[in-house]
Amino acid sequence: MPVLKAVDVEATLRKGDSARLADPVAPRFEVGARVVVRNLNPPGHTRAPRYIRLKRGVIERDHGVFIFPDTNAADQGAKPQHVYSVRFDAREVWGDDAPSNAAIYVDLWDDYLDPA
Amino acid sequence: MSDHDHPHPEHSDPGHSDSGHDIPSELALRVKALESLLVEKGLVDPAALDALIDMYEHKVGPRNGARVVARAWCDPAYRQRLLADGSAAIAELGFTGRQGADMVVVENTDTVHNMVVCTLCSCYPWPVLGLPPVWYKSAPYRARAVRDPRGVLREFGVELPEDVEIRVWDSTAEVRYLVLPQRPPGTEGMSEDELADLVTRDSMIGVGLPRAPGAKSTSAGTGP
Repeated sequence: MPVLKAVDVEATLRKGDSARLADPVAPRFEVGARVVVRNLNPPGHTRAPRYIRLKRGVIERDHGVFIFPDTNAADQGAKPQHVYSVRFDAREVWGDDAPSNAAIYVDLWDDYLDPA
Repeated sequence: MSDHDHPHPEHSDPGHSDSGHDIPSELALRVKALESLLVEKGLVDPAALDALIDMYEHKVGPRNGARVVARAWCDPAYRQRLLADGSAAIAELGFTGRQGADMVVVENTDTVHNMVVCTLCSCYPWPVLGLPPVWYKSAPYRARAVRDPRGVLREFGVELPEDVEIRVWDSTAEVRYLVLPQRPPGTEGMSEDELADLVTRDSMIGVGLPRAPGAKSTSAGTGP
């Protein structure tokens, strides 16, 4: 990797580092679809937070196609796929003592989700 | 950090005892050792390090985000673009870069309050807010923001009516979130610059509200 020079710092930082990909991958879910998070417990890197595993939510927004970090971190390729904002009611995640008017939105890749 | 005079969780934070800001000297030493090794081997240019630090100390910080918010308060068409495509609308004002390439802006209303966390690490929209404050990276904030957002807001001095829905955005993937706070009442006729001065860093993370007009402007939550 080339050494970053002081003169290039600003341009490099302003350029950004998007993990978005142009690959024409079809989404597995439509906005409004009900999903459940897979019970994933990989030994390596994942971005599926433990607290929403096996929880049910609704696809709120499709962010587009991104590098899949679980395989990318393991040098197994980018595995391009859609990332969605998934809405989980607080009570679905934490139980009945959570407020009824609170929700958590988590950004999740296709490979983390099943239809519910 | 310039937010040392911040009146709340940095000091009352339950995690203060084990993960607050007292960086273990062992860690500082390890960083120094790594730095000299990387410099000696020619892998890091010390001048580039200085340029990096200078950029986030002086050029990139929450004043950028405040410009975005004030513009949205003044210009309905800009607000529409901002909510429809945060990255593009923020780039219109020249704020682009690392940890901000894919931005979503979420709007507070009379019935919805948004707040942002990264439960897995410390993801934060650098081009508009600068580098994250210590408490944002602390395990207690990360754990409690999703479990008890109202309790966390209360500790930040924010009391919302019970019927306001709280939405917590856990930015563990590639999208970074900016909260568009509500324009404070009594600000009709204020200029965009004056409005930007009311916008605090915390109000754009969703753990604070903008200052009321006439309230004393302090450095709390506004320093880069």
